[in-house]
Amino acid sequence: MYGFEAMTFNIHGGYLEAIVRGYRAGLLTAADYNNLCQCETLDDIKMHLSATEYGPYLQNEPSPLHTTTIVEKCTLKLVDEYKHMLCQATEPLSTFLEYITYGHMIDNVVLIVTGTLHERDVQELLEKCHPLGMFDSIATLAVAQNMRELYRLVLVDTPLAPYFSECITSEDLDDMNIEIMRNTLYKAYLEDFYKFCQKLGGATAEIMSDLLAFEADRRAVNITINSIGTELTRDDRRKLYSNFGLLYPYGHEELAVCEDIDQVRGVMEKYPPYQSIFSKLSYGESQMLDKAFYEEEVKRLCLAFEQQFHYGVFFAYMRLREQEIRNLMWISECVAQNQKSRVHDSVVFIF
Amino acid sequence: MMEDQEEKGNAENGIGRQKQVKDEYLLQFLDSLDGYLTLLDSLSSTLSQGWLELASARHAMGASRINGALLDLKVHAAATSLKVSEQDVDSMESQPCFTLCKWASSDNGERSSGEEKSLSPQLRHRNNSQLSGIISSPQRQKSLSVFGVLVSPKLRSAQLSFERALETLVEIANLHTTMLSMFEQVHKELENTNG
Repeated sequence: MYGFEAMTFNIHGGYLEAIVRGYRAGLLTAADYNNLCQCETLDDIKMHLSATEYGPYLQNEPSPLHTTTIVEKCTLKLVDEYKHMLCQATEPLSTFLEYITYGHMIDNVVLIVTGTLHERDVQELLEKCHPLGMFDSIATLAVAQNMRELYRLVLVDTPLAPYFSECITSEDLDDMNIEIMRNTLYKAYLEDFYKFCQKLGGATAEIMSDLLAFEADRRAVNITINSIGTELTRDDRRKLYSNFGLLYPYGHEELAVCEDIDQVRGVMEKYPPYQSIFSKLSYGESQMLDKAFYEEEVKRLCLAFEQQFHYGVFFAYMRLREQEIRNLMWISECVAQNQKSRVHDSVVFIF
Repeated sequence: MMEDQEEKGNAENGIGRQKQVKDEYLLQFLDSLDGYLTLLDSLSSTLSQGWLELASARHAMGASRINGALLDLKVHAAATSLKVSEQDVDSMESQPCFTLCKWASSDNGERSSGEEKSLSPQLRHRNNSQLSGIISSPQRQKSLSVFGVLVSPKLRSAQLSFERALETLVEIANLHTTMLSMFEQVHKELENTNG
């Protein structure tokens, strides 16, 4: 159907594909979530998670637990699994795995720069960074005053360097410039990742194109909704959308001029895959949109495992684990705040 | 005899008026106590809603975008301040009156154009909520900009909830002083009766 991947994939990728499918089997099930949703305290959650693969990471945590501790420890498990896969991978899989972490790298850069602008201690900011997005010179970000310095002093030697060409200016860093930088970097990263997957070809290109196009479309919708009523102009908004995806280019033209959620709905309902998402929402409401998008994403990620001999399973696994950690974070917050009736507002079941 | 009856009548009227005044103070005290308890309940549910919306925003935007490490430590004027003034009640005694000045910055001299809510229990001045929302919208967005310019609507809802909670707190403070003042009045009347 694609190429002769079935004949050659297992030479270099067979071991890791088997590993990642084993990891996938360890994802929490609906029964696990039902037990977790009935917990009364965070210690109950810890007790239930001790019977899962998260057990060794949480067992030594003292009471009283905090929700951020649970999220941190669960993230450590993901990081350990990722590092195991990365150290065993050969090209081009190793580059593919590195691409998966560039989004976290961008978030960490923006966190350090924003925190420094607000005169926060660098060590405190480093503790809040996502471990998958760390790089050696990240602490040096605190000395940069504008984007040119940011690039010249630190980022030129990182994988994010090629993404800076569109946003290098000598303007001082402020909240608006940082926001535009964040979204411009992410746009460049997604486009680069998309091109890389296209070059790989075969099942990887097919499956990853679909997943990355969905990511690009979701970002376009979120940027539109979040920028309603802000100082961001229509042109600036349009420049933040990625140049691929189902919505590119005509959907983007219409989204750029939307002034409220109902206009966004009107644009999105013209596209059949997104009609089902927006049909779950009532008019004027956007609270459940995130959950609807997450549910659609999980469906597509699970489908990636239905085929063999492609790299999409690695991307899908990382994203599913991140969704699981988001679920655990939400359940923990609802339990800690005594709002268990709201626990199903944001939990997305994976199986 | 006629004079005795007149004096007796006057005395009875006086006692009746005193009883009426005592009942009035008692009713005012009970009304303020009821309002106080209702506001406490409202505050609790508004704060719960605000915290859950904040958690929801964290869930949507990610922990790296919404965390305490991003809060601004630079010295800057408070976006919202509290004014305490003395208010004369019945020309007898003064009680403190708390007024919230929302989204007013003394740095750029726009204090008079800031939204001011006088929440004295006797007379309430409330700006039109839609108009005040439009007027203070840039300042409201500015205070959220520590988390970025493009933030989720859930974070904005959380901000509104905490704003409402702050207004409720000021109402509670004013009602509390009224309640204490009414309690003093009732106590005085009881002492006068017993004395």
